[in-house]
This record gives sequence, C-alpha cells and structure tokens, in this order.
Amino acid sequence: MSNAAHITGSEIAALLTRAAPLNPQTSINDVGELFLQKEYAGLLSLPVVQGGMVIGSISRYQMIEIFMSRFGRELYGNRPITQIMNTQPLQVGINQPLEVAAQHVAANIRTPISEDFIVTDNGRYIGVGLVLDLLRALEQRVAASTASIAEAYQQLKASQAQLVQSEKMASLGQMVAGVAHEINTPLGYVRNNVEITQAVFEQLRSVLTDHEHLLDLMAAEEPDEAAIHAQLLKASAASADLRDGNTLDDTGALLKDTLFGTDQIKELVVNLRNFSRLDQAHVAEINLNESLEQTLVIAKNVLKNRVEIIRRLTDIPTVSCSPSQINQVFLNLISNGAQAIEHDAGRLLLKTESDETHVHVSIQDNGKGIAQEHLEKIFDPFFTTKPIGQGTGLGLSISYQIVQAHGGQIRVASIPGKGSRFVVSLPIAAVQPQAQAQAIAA
Amino acid sequence: MPIKPDLVLVDDEERILRSLAMLFRPHYNLYTTTDAHDALQYVRDHRVHVIVSDQRMPVMRGADLLREVRIASPNTMRLLLTGYSELEAIVASVNEGEVFRFINKPWDAAELKQTVNQAAEISFDLFSSQPSVTPPVTTFTETGSFIAPQPEEGILVIDDDAEVVKAVREIVGPSQAVHWASSLDQAFSILAENNIGVVISELFVKREPIALALKMLKAEHPEVVSIVMTPFQDTTVLIGLINQGQVFRFLPKPIRRGPLGMNIASALRHHRALKSAPKLRTIHAVEPVRQIEDNNVATRVMGFLSRLRNRNLGSFGATP
Repeated sequence: MSNAAHITGSEIAALLTRAAPLNPQTSINDVGELFLQKEYAGLLSLPVVQGGMVIGSISRYQMIEIFMSRFGRELYGNRPITQIMNTQPLQVGINQPLEVAAQHVAANIRTPISEDFIVTDNGRYIGVGLVLDLLRALEQRVAASTASIAEAYQQLKASQAQLVQSEKMASLGQMVAGVAHEINTPLGYVRNNVEITQAVFEQLRSVLTDHEHLLDLMAAEEPDEAAIHAQLLKASAASADLRDGNTLDDTGALLKDTLFGTDQIKELVVNLRNFSRLDQAHVAEINLNESLEQTLVIAKNVLKNRVEIIRRLTDIPTVSCSPSQINQVFLNLISNGAQAIEHDAGRLLLKTESDETHVHVSIQDNGKGIAQEHLEKIFDPFFTTKPIGQGTGLGLSISYQIVQAHGGQIRVASIPGKGSRFVVSLPIAAVQPQAQAQAIAA
Repeated sequence: MPIKPDLVLVDDEERILRSLAMLFRPHYNLYTTTDAHDALQYVRDHRVHVIVSDQRMPVMRGADLLREVRIASPNTMRLLLTGYSELEAIVASVNEGEVFRFINKPWDAAELKQTVNQAAEISFDLFSSQPSVTPPVTTFTETGSFIAPQPEEGILVIDDDAEVVKAVREIVGPSQAVHWASSLDQAFSILAENNIGVVISELFVKREPIALALKMLKAEHPEVVSIVMTPFQDTTVLIGLINQGQVFRFLPKPIRRGPLGMNIASALRHHRALKSAPKLRTIHAVEPVRQIEDNNVATRVMGFLSRLRNRNLGSFGATP
C-alpha cells in the first residue's frame, strides 16, 4: 500500500506505538483492566476508535478519578467508556512536520500532562505517540538545525568579511588616487626646480672656473697682462649674466619652494599613514578632532574647490577606539556629504562636542538630502541611490557596524533639497570593541 | 623664431608658476596668472602663441578656459596640465578645447620645453598665414544644416557594428561617399583605393586595437581628420590618442545622432581647411609614438603606409 510507505517515511511515524484501540462499547471496568496490561504499560491514555475513526480518548488520570471516588467503580463500572471519554483528544496527522505537530501538542495539551497524542491519517486511527518522545525528537531536530544555522552564519560572516574587504579596497583605491593627485602638484614643481637648479649649478661652476683661472693668471710669477685682461672680461661678463638675470635670487626662491613642496609631500604621507594607522595598535586613545583633520586631508581631492569646510570643533575628551576604523567612518560620511552637493555653494559643517558620557561628531552638508523613504534603509547593506558602478551600498552599512562595535551610535536627519546631518556618538569610557569590530578589522 | 613668442601660464599654485616661469623666461615673453579669467582677458587683448593651463583650478577648469581661448584666439596653441586624469575633463578639452597636448604632472623639463617650443613655432606659422585659413571655430552648440557634400571626400567608418555605418550614411546623405571597414585590413584597402577625408573609428575592431593605426595615419597624413567613437573609457589611451594621434573628437557610444552629425560636419570642414592650407596641418603635429603596444599592428600599418607612398596614389599625397 502506498499509504504505508508514506507513513513509514514520516517523522511522526518514527514515534508511533501501534496500540490496539478501544471499542466504544468497552466498559469502564474493562478499560481499567486493560490499563493494567503489559501491552499498554507505557501509555498515559488509550484511543477510542469507531469504524476506524478516532472518536475520543480515555486517560489513566480519568480512570483514577473514577475509581478513587466513592463507589465510583460500582456507579460507573459497567457503563461504556464513551460516557466519560475525552471527545477532543490530542490528534496529530501522520504527515505533519515535527515542528507543526509539536506546536499543536504544546498549544492543546492539558496540565498536568495526562495523555498521549493520537496519530491519525485523515481522521483514521494509526497509533499513539508519547509527548515526551515528540519533545525529544524536536530537541534533536533543533540541535541539528542549530548546527546548520551556525554553519550558515559562519559562511555569511566569511562572505560579509570579504565584501567589507572589497569595500575597504575600493575606498582605499579612491583615497590613494586622491592622495596621488595631491602629491603630483608639489612633485611637479619640485622636480622642475631641481632640474633648473642643476642648470644654474653648472652655470655657477663655469663662473667659478673662470674666476679661478683669473686668480691663477694673477698669481703667476710673470703675469701676462693681456691674458689677465681677457680673462677678467670673461669672468665679469659671466658674473654679470648671473646677476642681471637675477638667477641666484630666483634660484633661491625656487629652492625655498622646493623645501615647501617636499614638506607638503611629507605632510600628505604622514597623514596617509596616520589615516590608515597600519603601524599602530588596533585600539588607541585618540582625539576625534584630530581624526577629522586627518580625514579632511585625505578627502581633499573630493572636496577641493567645490565645498567649503566650516569647523566648529570644541575641546573634547579623547575616546578609545580603532583610529583607522573611525577614520574610515569619517571619510565615508565626508565624501558622501560632498557627493550629495550638486551646486556651487557647497558647505560641509563639522561639529564636535561632548557631554558626560559621549563625544558627538556631527557632519552636515547642504546637498540634495535623502528622501524620507530612503532614510530608514540607508544603513542597510547594498542600499545605494548612486548609479551602478559608483557605490557598493556598503559604505554606510560598514560605518554603522563600526560605530556600533565601538559601543556608539550613528544617527541621521535629512531634509530633501536642504541637506543631511549625520551624528556619530562614541562613548568616552572605553568599550571593549566586540568580536564584530575584529571581524571588520580583519 | 624671429622674436620671443608669447607664453601664458595659468595655475592656481603659485609655486608651479614660479617654477615654470624660470624654465621659460630666457626664451619667452611670459605672462603668468593664478586667475583663469585674467588669463582669458590677456589672450583677448594680446597675441598669445601658447597657453599652458592647469586643469584643476577654482572658479574655472582648465578645459573650460582652453575652450574659451580657442574661441577668442584659435591660433593660440593650447596645452593642458593635469595631475590626475579625469575622463570628463579630457574629453571636454579635446572636443571643445581642441588641445594640442596633455602634460602630466610631474613633467620632464626638457620634454616640456620641446613641446612648448614646437607649439610656439606652429602658432607663429598660423599667425603669419592669411587670416582666411584660420580653421573655423566649431562647437557642440553649432546648428544649421549639414554642409554641402563633396563626393570626392570619403568618410571611412571603422567599426564592427553595422548600425554605426547605417547611422553615418543617414546623417550625411547619399551624395557623400561612406565606406565601411569592419577590420583593420579592410580599412587599409579602403584607404588605399579611395580619397578619405574623415575617419570615424572604434578603438577595437574584431578585438584588434585601432589606436596605433590612427596615430600612425595621422603622423603620415595630417589632413585626415579622425573621430573616435567608443564606449571604451581609459584616460591613458585617450591622452595618447591626443598627444600622438591628434584625434579631432571623442564621442561616447551609444551614438547620439545630433552631436554625431554636427561633429562629422565639423570634421569635413576641418579637413577641407587642412587640404586647402597645407601649413595648417602643422597644428596636428604629433608626438612620436613612444612605445609600440602591438608590434604586429605596427608592422602592418608601416607596411601599408609605405606601399601607399610607393604607389604614390593620389588619395593622400596629392598636395605638395
């Protein structure tokens, strides 16, 4: 029978005891005897079946109530079991999933637990099962699915870490391109100045040689006046060339510029290093004002000439955080702000302040703002309003995670057409960054 | 050069100006400024041979300044200094500013001097020519009907995509010869057998790079005007196409018929001007190709060009 094959395959079937059911005409006395038989020893209740269909059940508990009441056996003993049976017994379909069956049993079982559940197939009696067995099976099931959930979680975490890494690489690439551009300008004139100075140096060398030759001629034992005269003219002409062309003063100015340029390059490199903090501890006590300044240098390329920076930085206590991660958050918020500005009068307001427990950093732009329906999604992974290829949709979501892992908060307010404000609040008292922070740092 | 040429340097970083000024002062009349508007006014008021402008400046981008300079004084050769290659700016400076060269920061002093000297010589020639041969100023905003076709000036389309040649044919009308090459070899044979004035080309055809062929063609035949139409966007390749190929326009794909029509008209007009005034061709002097990216293509192009020379076909070499 296909039905049988079906039954053995089900999860409920594994819990099944094929106890012979009671006939509706069975007397209460006989049921009492049956309960004492070995066959039914493990069961709390027995099913009552008529024409193959379950019509009720009777529990030991009910029997005890009758037999223990005064003259119970005498009064009720010969009556059929249908008179006292429970007409709404606990029933479970043979093909029900374990979870559904367990849910149904838990919702309908009476306390104290005094009955077993009856297994039916479309109302037809098949057997009985113990509630305890059901719970045990469920427990095993939960343990198994917990393991697979844990595995799925591990996989998810690994792929998320990969995504975070690629987002980091993307923003790093953007940052490197920006800094490379910033370095190119000083490098341009520094290199040119060195080439010019080299030429001037050659000119000076030849003037010096002329003068040395003149001295040699003059110091000779028998000075040759004509030769001295000729050399004098040559040397002074060469000197005059240098003097009249203002060459030395100009070169001096170029050398000053060159030093300035190399300092600028140095500053960029120092900032880049501070920004990434690859050579420093994961967690450090830092002043967020300094983080903002470092980030501004790195973000200069995005901001240059387009956005006016207004600083309202106050004296704030240091916070304990991972500097490179917090800088990443600031870079993300500052470049988002700059990108949201599509007009010429762009302004980015940076504010820092503190209360007793937190330092608050506010980054406010006067860009196009965020639509109300987008506002609640902006921290979701992969949510982006930027055109394909321009945003991974991970920047804000990573920023959110970083701030959260630091025990902080990131809040947003926006008016479409007017601008947006992001406020990052970090606790002053050190919070041990959680495992999540390490996952992000990895 | 009989007298010192006039050179204008524009950069918002004064130190760049000081540095460049020292490099050029002995041989040029210099005007340096950090203000693009000031530079433009100077070009309007004076005969300026060469202008070198930084791209990234507050108030006005270098590409925008050079576009205005081109309108105000087409004989002034325009060079753009860039620290960081921005595609949009490069395309704008080619299409609207018709720049002579891109110079990347940091530059090589000797090379820069040589480039500026060459630009100055060309500008001297232009200023000393009859005013009538000054190339007409054409811009994206130009309107009006398509210029009168001249059947002897063929247009060569090098592209895999038949839609492109179809669009070009519809734009120019039946009386203008439009040839279609869907491979480099086909392009060679069409060039050998026909008079070609304008080449409209993709950068890759049948996965074969075309850039080198365009550069070498321009070096040999400056009167052939080329339009590159491609979805491919690589700033290094585009800069190379200007410095070594003097490409007339970069148009993005997918095709937009309006701009394409205007640009084909400009290119034909430009070709006619170049043909009628050989001296003008020096505007399109190109840098020697520094590194041959693809030897196979290079050899084939060289072979083709020398065959062309030997046969002395009238198509290119007719004008003395």
